[in-house]
Amino acid sequence: MRNPAPVRNLSGTRRVARSLVVAGVSRPRRERFLSRYNNFWGWLFLTPVVLGLSLWVAFPLGLSLFTSFASWDLITAPVFVGFKNYIDMFVTDPLFWQSVVVTLYYTVAGVSLQVVLAFLAAILLNTRVRGVKVFRTVFYLPSLVPVIVSSALWMWLYNPQFGLFNVLLTSLGLPPQKWVFGIQTVVPSLILMSIWGIGNIIIVFLAGLQDIPKELTEAVAIDGGSAFHRFRHIILPFMTPTILYNVVIGIIGGFQTFTQPYIMTNGGPANASLFYVLHLYRQAFMFAKMGYASAMAWFVFIVTGVVSIIIFKTSSWWVFYQGETKK
Amino acid sequence: MKRLPVILASVLIALAIASPLAADNVKLTFVYWGSVNEDTAMKEAFKAFEAANPGITVEPMYIQGDISGTEYAAKLRAMAQTNTLPDLGYFRPDQFGEFAAAGYMMDLTDLVQKEGLTRDYLPQAWLKVKGRIFGAYTAAECQVMFYNKDVLKKAGVPVPPSDYRKAWTWDQFVKYCVQITTDANGKHPGDAGFDANRITTYGVSYQLWHAMLTPPLWSGGGGIVSPDGRKVLIDSPESIDVIQKIADLINKQKVMPYTNPSSTSQAGLPTPPVMLANGQLGFYITGQWELLDIAKMSFPMGIGALPIIKKPAQMYISGASVIFKSTKFPKEAWLLHKWLMTPDKTLNLYTSGLWMPTKASWYNDPADLKKWTDNAVHPAEFKTAVLDSMKIAEPIPEVRVKNYTQIINECVNPQLDKVWLGEISAAEALKKAGDLIRQQNLMQGTW
Amino acid sequence: MRGSRRPSEYRLLAYVLLVGFSLFCVFPLIWLLRSSLMTSREIFTLPPRLLPAVVQWNNYLDLFQVVPFARYFFNTLLIVVLNVVGAVASNSVIGYAFARINFRGRTIMYGLCMATIMLPQTVTMIPLFIEWKLLRGINTYAPLTALAFFGNGFYIFMLHQFFKTIPVEFDEAAFVDGVNHFQIVTRIIAPMSKPALAVVAIFSFLASWNDFMGPFLYLNDQRKYTLSLGLKYLISGYSVMGQWQFLMAASVLIVLPVALLFFLTQRYFIQGLTMGGLKG
Repeated sequence: MRNPAPVRNLSGTRRVARSLVVAGVSRPRRERFLSRYNNFWGWLFLTPVVLGLSLWVAFPLGLSLFTSFASWDLITAPVFVGFKNYIDMFVTDPLFWQSVVVTLYYTVAGVSLQVVLAFLAAILLNTRVRGVKVFRTVFYLPSLVPVIVSSALWMWLYNPQFGLFNVLLTSLGLPPQKWVFGIQTVVPSLILMSIWGIGNIIIVFLAGLQDIPKELTEAVAIDGGSAFHRFRHIILPFMTPTILYNVVIGIIGGFQTFTQPYIMTNGGPANASLFYVLHLYRQAFMFAKMGYASAMAWFVFIVTGVVSIIIFKTSSWWVFYQGETKK
Repeated sequence: MKRLPVILASVLIALAIASPLAADNVKLTFVYWGSVNEDTAMKEAFKAFEAANPGITVEPMYIQGDISGTEYAAKLRAMAQTNTLPDLGYFRPDQFGEFAAAGYMMDLTDLVQKEGLTRDYLPQAWLKVKGRIFGAYTAAECQVMFYNKDVLKKAGVPVPPSDYRKAWTWDQFVKYCVQITTDANGKHPGDAGFDANRITTYGVSYQLWHAMLTPPLWSGGGGIVSPDGRKVLIDSPESIDVIQKIADLINKQKVMPYTNPSSTSQAGLPTPPVMLANGQLGFYITGQWELLDIAKMSFPMGIGALPIIKKPAQMYISGASVIFKSTKFPKEAWLLHKWLMTPDKTLNLYTSGLWMPTKASWYNDPADLKKWTDNAVHPAEFKTAVLDSMKIAEPIPEVRVKNYTQIINECVNPQLDKVWLGEISAAEALKKAGDLIRQQNLMQGTW
Repeated sequence: MRGSRRPSEYRLLAYVLLVGFSLFCVFPLIWLLRSSLMTSREIFTLPPRLLPAVVQWNNYLDLFQVVPFARYFFNTLLIVVLNVVGAVASNSVIGYAFARINFRGRTIMYGLCMATIMLPQTVTMIPLFIEWKLLRGINTYAPLTALAFFGNGFYIFMLHQFFKTIPVEFDEAAFVDGVNHFQIVTRIIAPMSKPALAVVAIFSFLASWNDFMGPFLYLNDQRKYTLSLGLKYLISGYSVMGQWQFLMAASVLIVLPVALLFFLTQRYFIQGLTMGGLKG
């Protein structure tokens, strides 16, 4: 090979191959050397992950899988009980499905609202308004507040007698709400609180918006297209990967919601805010049913995995990646 | 000169090795929970102990608690599992039976009998599992009714009786609460034009967790479960009647503000003591230990006898103090344990209003009484309203009855939430609770 | 075009909405601030007052009496610094391996790393505690800092995406000079990735700064406590009176430096996310 292949987008192997070509090494030897070389370096660099996965992931997962088939209160020895925990979960426990419903309600409604509102805010921010930097900081501030603090703060805002929200409502002549103290209103109240913290989602969307090639939006404008046209045919398609990302992250996070209900409502009133992880936590730490809690943990792990896979698989129908041509 | 670092290092190492040996010190780790003030008070007590017992140091292991004790319990459970338990300290009363039966506490029976300590202390104080003593109640706490004198005066309500046997009846109590409750226009519940959404002063606030419901339930002839852990009492007609009465305070008579009783940040804002001090509340019914904090708020505070539904009732509640079997210094731990049970040595814990003593004489003997109640913290009526009521105090079932936590948290509380919200009647809720308890087969007797 | 052709009504509407949401974001924080400067009783008077009658600057000082906040601050700082260093160092090397080195099993390992993002913390909590006990790590900062050095799925993903956007020519040139992978990471990739590394640093800073469960589970010695434990302490059920102004003051103290940090490094943040290319 007198003229080596052009350099653009060569993989690691090809790069070294090129160097070896330049150096004049024969082809079979090159191949063997390269794969060994790359394997060595690749795996060397991965040692932290390999160790980390074994120590901090595999072993605990294995232990908790084992525990999920046992009954263990941590102070006496574990007792093997087969599938009893799983059966209890699905059949006997009156609160298991309640916690699933609550978590699903919060996650689906919450993530939808969060993504839509954040997207809207990002679009507004992306217009040439003045003080974008200030707006960005202001929107992001709530995410910087430790969850413990925001939980206490919002509990206060939500207090039916003395909280700010009801004081505002009554001064406007509107009826006061029960907020986190009412059975129907507790999850919507938590969702409202989560909207307060969508700053980081807005920023991700903003970054995505700024990635859209300006020539395209300009072209549409020059051709006389309206803002809506621009939105539907340029902005939205380009933003689909970002939307996908935020939806997936939002769902994963939603399933793991714990601190807010723990601090603010402790699952009440009447289990209306009994989130899945809160229920799990109680089984583990209040009732010392480690086996049962482990079974619950495994269930949500599997569900999260399945949901993510489904979302990714169906994403090819609606997600458009730059660099792909779509006709 | 090159040798110098080596020499220095060796000297330092030698010192480091030698110093623990030289000190010949016993170090006891004491684990406990509580508020800021309690933490301060405990540390003072430890210092006094160290001064009286040279050679022993106390290492305070303070674990922030929440009113339900979940985190504290979880922490100790994890420590038990990994053999990192401290020497002695507080223990959650509702987990006491389980851990004692599993052998984590030191058996104190012989020590107690040898030193004749059963005579001196209240009969309820020593905690037994299967006849052996594994710990003691840290203090003797009970339910107490605080009130703001100015708020009552302004409403034209007389001061409640201070003799626990001559307390107001429930109906009288409710009547006075209605008188105190005012909205922004000065109207009372029941008046035309009363706006329940703009109440500025409330009549009463009951703490609504299980222990605080117990004395009223007993006063009405009901209960949550029987002391022997075999019978469900929460769905009896008497219990239903009591719960409905309390719920009516919130929803019917509108004299009580509703805040989530089971929230972890229990600070159900604003907290009733603050409301009391601000003149936004007339009566506050809670545990005696709150005297510690309430006394520090400057308002004219009084203590009244608990309202009687059918008969006077009082509960004995407290955390447990135990010595863990894994301690390396059982003798010294026993000394510290006894020290903390000796009111003379730890006077500040009692004078401050945090604890009530477990030593019997401190309730009757005038000299001992004076030592801890004759101060600005304890009002004059403290003896007759509170101390005397301890004569009839029954320990709440959480220590003895198995599965108590689960009964309360899984079966009873969620149903009660709906009652406090006014969504269903007490009858409906408590029947459901009783059914749940029986369904899950939770009545398994006692430890 | 975005600016000139858009009618001014749209602009006005945009402004109104943005300002409205800003108020929504900021108002609770203002409430936080004002309460930190009031007495406990004043916080709860009705009708609520926006400004304190007498500004209680002493809350910020008294806070340190109630809770040893200065010590907690330094403890937290130590933990946070270790976490940031560990996260940046380990994840950049790992992300590079995934992005640039074609080795056997790469896809599987990458998949495993991504899978860990979805691991609920609760399932590993107790087994991890037992592990640390065996390793004698209880009541030390090891359990709170060591994990940062072993890579984190989320940061690996971020850096992997980012590295892929760096033109290969740079490594290429270095390779010809006989440089190995490690030197490429440290001398070429890393300096060019400052925005992305800054993002990793900031995120891991935030995570360890606000972490509560970790310190709670592993730290027994009050002198080793962190800020989040101190905060929880102020909310705990025993905090019956007089702590709310301290909770507010403490919260302000904790949020302020982080807010400042964000405002100053916004550019890196955005840049990092953009280059990270969430395009798949």
